[in-house]
Amino acid sequence: MGGLQKKKFERGAATNYITRNRARKKLMLSLPDFRRLCILKGIYPHEPKHKKKVNKGSTAPRTFYLMKDIRFLLHEPIVGKFREYKIFVRKLKKAYGKTEWSTVERLRENKPTYKLDHIIKERYPSFIDALRDIDDALCMCFLFSTFARTGKCHVQTIQLCRRLTVEWMNYVIASRSLRKVFISIKGIYYQAEVMGQLITWLVPYQFSHDHPTDVDYRVMATFTEFYTTLLGFVNFRLYHSLNLLYPPKVCRAPKLIPGLQSILLFLIEQKLSALSASLARVVSSAEEEEAELDQFPEDMEKMEAREKEQKQQEAQRKMFQGLKFFLNREVPRESLAFVIRCFGGEVSWDKSICIGSTYDVTDETITHHIVDRPNIDKQYINRYYIQPQWVYDCVNAKILLPVEDYFIGVTLPPHLSPFVEEKEGDYVPPEKLKIMALQRGENPGVNEEEEEDEEEEEDDNADEEEDDEEEEEEEAEEKNLKEMEDQRSQGKSLQVKVTPGKVKVENPARLEQEEKAEEKRLAIMMMKKKEKYLYDKIMFGKKRKVREANKLAAKRKAHDDAEKAKKKKARK
Amino acid sequence: MAAARRLKRVAVSQPGFLTLKPSLDPSDLVSGRRKRVNKNKKKNWNKHSDINDVEEFLEDVRHQERTTGGLLSEKSDDSLFFLDVGQPKKAEQKAEESVEGKKRKGKASRPLRIDLILQHDSLVPPAKDVLSYQQPNAKKLRRIAQKAEQLAAKGVVPRRQRQLLNRRPVDRTAKKSATEANNNPDREYYDMWGQESKESADPWYLQQTGKRQVKRPEKLNEKPSVLPAVEVIAPGGSYNPDFLSHQALLQEAHDVEVKKQKQEEKLERQLAFNKEDKATEETVLREQVEGLVEEENEDEEAAADDEEEDVAVGAIALSEKKTERQRKRERAEKIKEQQRLADRKQTDQQQQLFQLRSIKASIRQREQKTKSNQIKRKAKQEAQKSQPRRLGKLKFQPQDLEVQLSNELAGSLRRLKPEGSILKDRFKSLQKRNLIEPRDRAKFKRRLKVKYVEKRAFKEIT
Repeated sequence: MGGLQKKKFERGAATNYITRNRARKKLMLSLPDFRRLCILKGIYPHEPKHKKKVNKGSTAPRTFYLMKDIRFLLHEPIVGKFREYKIFVRKLKKAYGKTEWSTVERLRENKPTYKLDHIIKERYPSFIDALRDIDDALCMCFLFSTFARTGKCHVQTIQLCRRLTVEWMNYVIASRSLRKVFISIKGIYYQAEVMGQLITWLVPYQFSHDHPTDVDYRVMATFTEFYTTLLGFVNFRLYHSLNLLYPPKVCRAPKLIPGLQSILLFLIEQKLSALSASLARVVSSAEEEEAELDQFPEDMEKMEAREKEQKQQEAQRKMFQGLKFFLNREVPRESLAFVIRCFGGEVSWDKSICIGSTYDVTDETITHHIVDRPNIDKQYINRYYIQPQWVYDCVNAKILLPVEDYFIGVTLPPHLSPFVEEKEGDYVPPEKLKIMALQRGENPGVNEEEEEDEEEEEDDNADEEEDDEEEEEEEAEEKNLKEMEDQRSQGKSLQVKVTPGKVKVENPARLEQEEKAEEKRLAIMMMKKKEKYLYDKIMFGKKRKVREANKLAAKRKAHDDAEKAKKKKARK
Repeated sequence: MAAARRLKRVAVSQPGFLTLKPSLDPSDLVSGRRKRVNKNKKKNWNKHSDINDVEEFLEDVRHQERTTGGLLSEKSDDSLFFLDVGQPKKAEQKAEESVEGKKRKGKASRPLRIDLILQHDSLVPPAKDVLSYQQPNAKKLRRIAQKAEQLAAKGVVPRRQRQLLNRRPVDRTAKKSATEANNNPDREYYDMWGQESKESADPWYLQQTGKRQVKRPEKLNEKPSVLPAVEVIAPGGSYNPDFLSHQALLQEAHDVEVKKQKQEEKLERQLAFNKEDKATEETVLREQVEGLVEEENEDEEAAADDEEEDVAVGAIALSEKKTERQRKRERAEKIKEQQRLADRKQTDQQQQLFQLRSIKASIRQREQKTKSNQIKRKAKQEAQKSQPRRLGKLKFQPQDLEVQLSNELAGSLRRLKPEGSILKDRFKSLQKRNLIEPRDRAKFKRRLKVKYVEKRAFKEIT
């Protein structure tokens, strides 16, 4: 028996981890400071695999950090700043206690501050890294910018968040990169595609805050502090990528008068936040250079497909181009102005609501008037009066939907989530099917229904109308059946006649299909037992899915029928 | 006689004694007899020669100089004497008048006594401090100045000045930005990812002074969870949802609620006590008379105790010593058993040769099992990645699902009532993604008890 006795917990997992309190002591920081440092530096607690080994035999639940992470934290210059701040607070308290106001003032002037620039650079070595992590930053900034200035957090932070979010929205408008919008009961979800990255963020409704008590505001404020810095730098870079001035300026900026500069600056900021004016560019010629796709010689088909897609996207971006919107005062102005401007529409509102309205209600060229009340007194004949959901649904459908479903007082079609991606065989709600049909450019079935709706609106005498409709429907069905029969009979033409021999036109596509089907059948036959089993299983799963979807569809139909019946009853 | 003489000596030696003869020195008087000393030694000159007269004279001269500004003998008579013609009457009257009329003014013009005391009263001017008029290294400095003048005339700029000129102008804005707070709404940003960071100073210097940024480990850039930052609500959470998706969401919320209720019920069930254990009148009475009535039972218990003791004694007595024969037999049996087992093993192994097929099958089976276990484990690990980890005392509590019932749904955007709090949603999302540990709000603990005292004024009213 030679050598020293091995002691427990001096090697292995126990030395790789450190408890939070020990880490705090090692860094000589208070707990709030330690927490703040960890958040800023992006160091998170870690759950060890074997808690008992790490915790020196105890199984008490503790927060652990990796030892290496804490050692890395030791080099951070901000740690020194935190200590300085602690001393500053102590001195300030003392001065207050002694009522030495001059000292208080002097200390305040020399309040220690720190910058997070180097941490941003360290955590996000490239711009794309930062862009991938911007979701959180946006959510947080949008959230904080809606806070009331009641001392839950610093007023300056709220202002900064507001500035950054306005800048971001202006960028999205300028780059036309918005893709999806979803109005949920929580807030409004937006998705934009910036430099190939899909960025989702959530914007709360205005004035909807009750401050929950079980949220640690200090932690949230720390996150926000970090994210405001990040978002600022990202904004700068994005603006410069579009040749825009940063900090942003409105195109027709008023001339600066030296005395009124601060007021004017404030006005400019307000104008920016109104989202109605376009931004000033570094290069004054505002011609947009269309980015030409690089030509790759290899694959012509793919190229064509891509080009087509590109064109489609281009068209989609200019969806609202040439349309003039007017927002009534009861609709959410900022959200609608943002969405409409993102797709090239012009938008205005009443002067008394917000600064930056560009034209009046009386403007004859307005095409769409967005209203969210049951009726309106004075209506202009040359514009549509629609509900706000139309705008959002258009964005999600990527086409201009027929306005008829969204007129004033009409029961709206459901607002579907654009974030749901249906796979093959999943249940698709009929509304979505309709939209998909519209996207493909066909609208036979839909038209009829719309006509029905219109008729319903026009005529007050509902009973007769509906009866007529039903009859019409029946008639239509009968017609269809007849036509089909006719076709069938034509196909089976049994006229005995000698006609010159026709070359049987072989449909190559169909042949190919048949061939493929045959091949598939053979392949299934040739499968090994094991593979066959697997294949059967997959097919079964698919079938089950289809069955479920069918069930859901039937349910939906039953529901719709019930609704209709109820309506009828109510009318009678 | 001698006593009278001593008395006289003592009196003379007292300070303030005025001699009758000014020339007579008290010391002379004391030392009655002159001491005889040789004057051929310099030491004795100093010691025993009488220089009082000289010193007196010099003192007198100094006194005259101090008080009159020179020797009296050298002064003119006019400056020493004046003709006394009595006091002029007019002046006296005037003085009286002035005292009456401008009492304050006269008082103000007279210097203060304290100033008078502090005044220099000697007429001899103080001696000059020579050193204060001298300049150290005057010569050297003069020479340097001369040289500099010469160089300036030639147009040569000294090195010091050249350095000063070469120095970069101090960045005044640097200080301002240093004191600027991080959340200043007008703060400026720059192109962070545009230019590569220029290492201005020597890398060695930076490293040694601890000013170089330590490289961030790659592993820290990994996210602790695979969940997305923003989880979009289910389609049923739309403000104007599709019927079926809304029903699906409601079902989900319902399931959660049912689960919660079940848990609560279970807890209650576990905590519930048996109804038969309830105290009845009988049991209460029995408890009250405990130890007073029961006597028969005790005897029985005592009997039971005795039996137990017997058994224990028997157990100890059973262990007896084995005999030699017994030992031998046991050993033999043991060896025999071992032999038997070894034989059995061998035959088994031989038999296995004929069971190869089944063994193979079993091995294959086992392998398959391990493989499937591996797959399962891997899948579980993957699933774990999106699960919130246990990072502290508390477990992650998922947020309540935001749901609006069918009758709560608003028909239009105007009448929509937002559900839930986004702040809470974000906070929970951070916890779910393992960025922060779930934590309770710190409870306020009072260190000292609060004492309520009614004030007297208040007491009177009530």
